[in-house]
Amino acid sequence: MATFGGWAGKVLRVDLSTGRISTEDTLEKYKDVLGGTGLGYKVLWDEVKPGTKPYDSENKLIFGVGPLAGTGAPSNGRTAITTIYPTCWPKPLVATGHFGGDFACQLKYAGYDGIIIEGKADRPVWLSITDGKVEIKDARHLWGQGIRRTNLDIVQELGPTACVAAIGIAGENLVPMSTIINNVSHSAGGVGSVMGAKNLKAIAVRGSGYVRIAGDKAEWEKVIKHHLALLGSNNQHVVPNSPQPWAEFSHPGVRWVASKGRAWGAAQPPIDSGTCDPHDLNRIAYRTNNAAFYLGNIAWQYTVRGNGCTSCPIRCHTLLRVPYLPEKYGNGITENIQSTCVRLLFGRFFYKSFTDGFLGRTAFDACMVGVYLIDDLGIWDNYGQIQRDFIKIYHEGTIKDKIGEAEFKSYSWDKYAKSDPSFLFDLIPRIARKEGELATVLGKGTGALFGQWGLPEEEWKKDEGLGYWKMGHPQHHSSLEAYQLGAIINTQYNRDVQCHTHQNFLRNGLPIKEQKRLAKDLWGSEDAVDDIGMYTPMNLNKAKMTRWTLLRKELHDSLSLCNWMAPVVASPLKERGYSGDDTLESLLYSIATGEKMTREELDEVGERIFGLHRALTIRDMGTKEMRKEHDTFPDWVFKDRQGRAPFTPGTTHMEKNDLNLGMDMFYNLLGWDKATGSPTEETYKKLKLGYVAEEFEKKGLLP
Amino acid sequence: MNRGIEKDDPVEGALNRVQLNPSCSRRQFLKVSGVAVMGLTAFGALVNGAGGSTPLIIMDQAEGLVIGDPTKCVGCRRCELACTEFNDGKAWPELSRIKVTRNLAYGPKGNVLGQRGQGNFGQGLIVQDLCKQCPHPVPCADACPNDAIILDPKTKARVVDTEKCIGCMMCQRACPWEMMSFDPEAKKATKCFLCGGKPKCVEACPAGAIRYVDWRDLTRKIPPRVAPAVHASPAKAATCNDCHKK
Repeated sequence: MATFGGWAGKVLRVDLSTGRISTEDTLEKYKDVLGGTGLGYKVLWDEVKPGTKPYDSENKLIFGVGPLAGTGAPSNGRTAITTIYPTCWPKPLVATGHFGGDFACQLKYAGYDGIIIEGKADRPVWLSITDGKVEIKDARHLWGQGIRRTNLDIVQELGPTACVAAIGIAGENLVPMSTIINNVSHSAGGVGSVMGAKNLKAIAVRGSGYVRIAGDKAEWEKVIKHHLALLGSNNQHVVPNSPQPWAEFSHPGVRWVASKGRAWGAAQPPIDSGTCDPHDLNRIAYRTNNAAFYLGNIAWQYTVRGNGCTSCPIRCHTLLRVPYLPEKYGNGITENIQSTCVRLLFGRFFYKSFTDGFLGRTAFDACMVGVYLIDDLGIWDNYGQIQRDFIKIYHEGTIKDKIGEAEFKSYSWDKYAKSDPSFLFDLIPRIARKEGELATVLGKGTGALFGQWGLPEEEWKKDEGLGYWKMGHPQHHSSLEAYQLGAIINTQYNRDVQCHTHQNFLRNGLPIKEQKRLAKDLWGSEDAVDDIGMYTPMNLNKAKMTRWTLLRKELHDSLSLCNWMAPVVASPLKERGYSGDDTLESLLYSIATGEKMTREELDEVGERIFGLHRALTIRDMGTKEMRKEHDTFPDWVFKDRQGRAPFTPGTTHMEKNDLNLGMDMFYNLLGWDKATGSPTEETYKKLKLGYVAEEFEKKGLLP
Repeated sequence: MNRGIEKDDPVEGALNRVQLNPSCSRRQFLKVSGVAVMGLTAFGALVNGAGGSTPLIIMDQAEGLVIGDPTKCVGCRRCELACTEFNDGKAWPELSRIKVTRNLAYGPKGNVLGQRGQGNFGQGLIVQDLCKQCPHPVPCADACPNDAIILDPKTKARVVDTEKCIGCMMCQRACPWEMMSFDPEAKKATKCFLCGGKPKCVEACPAGAIRYVDWRDLTRKIPPRVAPAVHASPAKAATCNDCHKK
């Protein structure tokens, strides 16, 4: 270990059945998969047998971070939590939830690159980690408590610098649509109930150590400043969303919302976000205000400031203070609410409309109530799917048909009909408590609507508006935004794809002319990218970009770089022709760890991790026929709601042969067999996954 | 080391710069010390009496200090990381000479107030704890049994001379603001040394929430975090008489 920087050097293993606590050498066992998701996949491959169910004590829950976690590399705050997913339908398979916050760095400072939780405690416990001291503690007093209370209770014991990752009562009650939340508001979806099944209420970490930068510290400082200079706003949007004196371009769809006259109104006194010239690195934090971006201008007056993960200058996790909430809504709601992205929208998503519109007061309140509830109860929204399902089954009368009259009448539907946010206090806690048929089914996820209620999955696959993709999960930046690339990447995972590599470039706000110029350098041709609303037929450069998109996702999730900010292949800097730096990951890795790696070499590690995910999926599905049985598209992909033909202006209508060609190209670039979509023996060996090839040879799972 | 008083008059200079208690005059000062002065404005934080007598404990004021604006702090901790990575090659918030982590979740008073307190889980305010580069008498320097807290020649920041520091942690117990850090591997204390006048933390703040400004006395403005458990030794304290006793 002594020769490498970056890694802490040890992975913690906790067997809750026996109480045995041990450590193993990270570099000996996991260096070739870095950490994060790579670590999670490797442990599942080595130790969890195919067919293991999510709540079996044999299932493992792996918290993984990478060599960059805890350093000053911008945006390294994310932890990957890998397990057999309870929301993957009809058969549970490997997937990963991620949270930001402070957990990743605290784990490193305590001396660990990951935690493997195995077995099942015989009573509620929590795990206390303070540097080398690791203890399994009684959690009977915490069981049944909300996440905020759990956090406070534990920090009273460990001190305020401890980071607490806890489940709410949803996770305790084995509600599959549940989260693990650290720092009260940073959530990882789909994994809460796996922790609950292990009787593990919380993991608290307090570390006093450090992450060593192996390379020269002056060189490290230079790279960090270079990285910071290339950053845009959240999702690496590199132009402002309104014209600014310094800016050549602007685009209303981007998250760089700062501007003169837009102030953090609840800061005391208020702070104008200003023009945020990209050369002023002491203003990066003011560029983004995701509450204002998502909830509208109403959010500015309640904005205290940006908040977010350790080391991240972007602050996408807006902290709001809304003084009227406690009196207006009661139920313990606090004035202070903080969140980001779709989690901010949780409450609003339940309603079809609001009399004052989606950016009005009622919608805003619904969002505040929603965040308050789900962050305390620990509920996951499956990227908005739970709400889209709810709207559909309510308005089509399915709820009334499927649940008894008494239960139906127990809901305050009059409030719902009026789009009253307080309806959420009626519905959401019941989901966490599995109270009644409706709440139980919603908490199980979309798969339960098919499996338990017998609704036809085909219907979901036909409806673009439902946003459903497959296996109980929705699309995530799919063909609707990124055409063939988006469609292909959405076939690859066992939950929503959670990939932003492509999105961080394609929706960065630069005009298509600039994007195409950059694309030529990055993926070999201007044709790798299409103008929004005018997509063109598949080509090899699009396939190259698709491959790059997924390798980098796994690389980021394993290094601990936020895939909502990285890669940084475009920048706000006109003098650079808006170019970013595609070698940043390898630069950071090389200096932090001391092991010099080129971009290509590190991308191959990303490919190995992606390959391991593929192998786990093949193994646990028990078939090599991935193209047919796994990598599928919903029907709506091949339709246009307005009847427009493929490749015509404005459409996202994909053409079947064209997309099949795209899949061929994608498999081909990865060294996967085109007919089955399975990696070949040579590919596994090339990726140093010979052990996979060996096992698959025996099982007949090689193409 | 007989130099100084006749030509450069460093004692007079130091007294003027430090703006000590007006009751202390140069004449009195010289009467009691009556000897040479060593490196008063450079490395010599302390004025050594000739013949090994007890040193006088006067320090020049620092040139500047880092101040924080809690209403702007966004809690990213990039300041702590810059402090330790760029100076020490380690990402080590515990060692950082600017201290934010400890106030991040619930504020300087800790978790006793729950959601009614400060910090991310309270009302949102994050207080950056910073070294005040204290004027004379300097608690950390005065508490050091080896006079290992000296002046940086450029900024006159109070800095730890790692050659002299024996790692006894008396300075940690002496600072009312808990601003001393301790490196358990090197067994040495460390503290804010102002990075030669270009503090890394200030450069690193993405919200402009910390600034490097001309020194001013904040020791009476900012409430202490703790009551100091350690003070200057009686021998050192006795030297107060040299200047202050009529």
